[in-house]
Amino acid sequence: MTPAAISFTMPLNIVRLSLIAFMPQFTLLPPLSLYIHIPWCVRKCPYCDFNSHAAGEHLPEDKYIQALVRDLEQQLPSVWGRRLQSIFIGGGTPSLFSPAALQTLLSHIRMLIPCPPDMEVTMEANPGTFEQEKFNGFFQAGINRLSIGVQSFNDKQLKQLGRIHSAQEALNAIEMAKQAGFENINLDIMFGLPEQSLKQGIQDLQAAIDCQPGHLSWYQLTLEPNTLFYSQPPSLPDDEDIWELQQQGQALLQQHGYQQYEISAYAKSGKQCQHNLNYWQFGDYLAIGAGAHGKISRADDHSIRRYAQHRQPQQYLDATNKTSSEHFISNADRSYEFMLNSLRLKQGFTLELFEQYTGLNRQVIEGRCEQAIEKGLLSRQGSQLRASETGYLFLNDLINLFYPDDAN
Amino acid sequence: MKNIRNFSIIAHIDHGKSTIADRFIQICGGLTDREMESQVLDSMDLERERGITIKAQSVSLDYKASDGQVYHLNFIDTPGHVDFSYEVSRSLEACEGALLVVDASQGVEAQSVANCYTAMDLGLEVMPVLNKIDLPAADPDRVAQEIEDIIGIEAVDACQVSAKSGLGIVELLDRLVETIPPPEGDPDAPLKALIIDSWFDPYVGVITLVRIKQGTLRKRQKMQIMSTGRSYIVDDVGIFTPKRTPRGELSSGQVGYIIAGIKEIDSAKVGDTITLLDNPADEALPGFKEVQPRVFAGMFPVEADDYENFREALDKLRLNDAALQFEPETSSALGFGFRIGFLGMLHMEIVQERLEREYDLNLITTAPTVVYEVETTRGEVLKIHNPSDLPEVNYIEEIREPIIQANILVPQDYLGNVISLCVEKRGVQTNMQYAGSQVSLTYEMPMSEVVLDFFDRLKSVSRGYASFDYDFKRFQAAKLVKVDILINSETVDALAIIAHEDTSQTRGREVVDKMRELIPRQMFDIAIQAAIGRHIIARSTVKALRKNVTAKCYGGDVSRKKKLLEKQKKGKKRMKQFGKVEIPQEAFLAVLKVDNK
Repeated sequence: MTPAAISFTMPLNIVRLSLIAFMPQFTLLPPLSLYIHIPWCVRKCPYCDFNSHAAGEHLPEDKYIQALVRDLEQQLPSVWGRRLQSIFIGGGTPSLFSPAALQTLLSHIRMLIPCPPDMEVTMEANPGTFEQEKFNGFFQAGINRLSIGVQSFNDKQLKQLGRIHSAQEALNAIEMAKQAGFENINLDIMFGLPEQSLKQGIQDLQAAIDCQPGHLSWYQLTLEPNTLFYSQPPSLPDDEDIWELQQQGQALLQQHGYQQYEISAYAKSGKQCQHNLNYWQFGDYLAIGAGAHGKISRADDHSIRRYAQHRQPQQYLDATNKTSSEHFISNADRSYEFMLNSLRLKQGFTLELFEQYTGLNRQVIEGRCEQAIEKGLLSRQGSQLRASETGYLFLNDLINLFYPDDAN
Repeated sequence: MKNIRNFSIIAHIDHGKSTIADRFIQICGGLTDREMESQVLDSMDLERERGITIKAQSVSLDYKASDGQVYHLNFIDTPGHVDFSYEVSRSLEACEGALLVVDASQGVEAQSVANCYTAMDLGLEVMPVLNKIDLPAADPDRVAQEIEDIIGIEAVDACQVSAKSGLGIVELLDRLVETIPPPEGDPDAPLKALIIDSWFDPYVGVITLVRIKQGTLRKRQKMQIMSTGRSYIVDDVGIFTPKRTPRGELSSGQVGYIIAGIKEIDSAKVGDTITLLDNPADEALPGFKEVQPRVFAGMFPVEADDYENFREALDKLRLNDAALQFEPETSSALGFGFRIGFLGMLHMEIVQERLEREYDLNLITTAPTVVYEVETTRGEVLKIHNPSDLPEVNYIEEIREPIIQANILVPQDYLGNVISLCVEKRGVQTNMQYAGSQVSLTYEMPMSEVVLDFFDRLKSVSRGYASFDYDFKRFQAAKLVKVDILINSETVDALAIIAHEDTSQTRGREVVDKMRELIPRQMFDIAIQAAIGRHIIARSTVKALRKNVTAKCYGGDVSRKKKLLEKQKKGKKRMKQFGKVEIPQEAFLAVLKVDNK
């Protein structure tokens, strides 16, 4: 039957109903997190392409905290009645800020938006001596998870990476954090570093494991556009060596009870990062701070909005409206972006979660999922979909199958 | 008639033909300044961009010379590339004289020499002009000497001009009307009009550019194309000023256009003769030839859905390009497409670029091949346009390949390099002549070697100083074999090449190595092999990738991750799926891209 024939023979309300099936609709909104960006670093690392700026003599700490609070206040109407499930303070180097400043900020947040008492509050910290002394204060301020940017325990490599701390300082910092009361610690460790041998890579990872953090982000160094490393590439180990290192490293992590749950994230049981999980599950997040990116779904018009705040710290401080750009995610992009994120998770996603977080009917992706399964990149058990073993290694190829403009 | 001057300009690319033409138009007031878009005659974007004239055009100008008389100048523009030598000869045939424009800082190039000889053979008065004399590097005396040495015409008092600044252009025009003779021909004799070019106009149909050799053609007369015998009623005749301007009649000595309700340019071929049905000429003008495509390549749409659009685009291009031939081709690797015949490599590039640019088609082009003649054991003679059509070895009595005569002009310093290149390309020297600081070389060589990369190589071994022109000579028997390329043990028909037995091993090896560089690593090993019959002559493997995943997570900023993936995705768009393997477009031209030591 042609579509035209349907409208002649069927009552109008049925036609309308069948149309609604293709309109996105939220029955339940996804969990909500808050991301706070502190854009200053002591100096810029040559591999880093995040929005960070070398700090001058004086950080405009008070002004920036005020701006963050104002930023959040402006965004409250878009999340009325919802509560936070996690906070992440990233940068830059947030640990450059004083514990007092962060305490002020967190108090304001708790007054403005409901926060459960045991909520995960993460802060990124660098292992310099200057920062370590403040760990106590950070813990007192309500931060309960510390993500320490160690990157390597090899002094030579730290130097090449442009880091300003030594391996010993990193070890001290982890000890200080534990003493301050942090039970939830992540270490960022990179591999595939310039001239890194297999042995060095494993030693680095072993050193990290020896510190017994609950969580390890073990990720391969990649040369990102707009970084110093990109324009003057260092000599990196070849693909085969990196592959070997990755294989051995993953076995080592597994052996010490660190389960991989995302491409580069490994955690002991119960120590997965709630905040990052929410990103990967296509959850919602408010974003405040210079260059921060947010995503908010709404139940009233069933829209999903992405937005970004002014990048330049001074511009951010001065602006009345902190948002510099925003757009609504189209239906086609919703599926794609959902896949882009959720397939990074080892466990993948359920079709129920897809429907709930995108507001779309599962039919819109089923065809492509079938294709991916046929190609051996995706596996399905009931409504649970995850990347196959091959698919997880070739995740970019898998995700590209869901690229919006291709005919199914 | 005594005040008519018909002339062409012979010049190498970039030696300033179009700029001089623009100056003429400006001085004679052919266009207002507003209409005077730079380089009026090269009307296609592509022509303007590449500085190459593809279609012949003409402009009629009235010039009041310093002797006080008004002259009617007809400038006939000629296509400027080796591929179009026949068209050039017909344009020259329509003239009594030609300006040989030479860049005073660079000197004579082979293409100009070849065209000059054609002009002189046709009895034209050739007038040397040194252009760009205002450039610091200009050396008019040396270049004038070179013209005398190489071409053998008086050049000591050649006109010295700068078309860019306008310097010497008026003097040039005065000299032109003085030197180039007026046309001859009886306006009352039976009509003989030479077709210089024809093109399709969507409003009026085919417009034919003609030179009236004798007789007179008027509106509403019945004209006849002599090669086909078909007749048409003349709707309109006139001249280009350069705007199309009706005139009511064209008579002996004049150059102008005819519109006669002709639907296809095939019906008004370059070089053909037009006469009147009532009072026909007893014989056609000499020199008419049917143009034969010499180079063939397969073109396939990347998206199978584009096939119909592709066909339409080809039909449209053909309206204006009688030399373009095509027939459907099916490839197991590339799906449905067309086998397209071209005059030469430039013609092929132009067509490909127009298809992609004007018709927005994403195409894969296979390596071009020449036409081979195969005599089978049963005595049939086949024309092979596509290596994969080559019969099995035991059915072949003899394979014959096209041989061309290459005319090369090269400064003495690079002579050694050029000679060894020609030898490598299986060339046989037939002539070598020293002329001033340049050497004129003539070689006979297989056209397949020229199609491959000869032109680029010639430029590189001579640092761009050598110039080259060629003519088709004959088909000649040679020991040729088909080299198949296999990917994961399956023959990819679109990659097959025909090579000389002596070099087939090396060629196979080179193509396989190049393919290995061009095919990106994928999720599995890819075996690339070259084979002659069942015998594998080269083999290489593209090792499987270990992984393809973005390590770093950008947290909340999804746009950067998307951009990265989109970049990968775009790369894939230019790939063709062959079984599981994705082959990039460039790989189908690997044969051409083989690096030479």
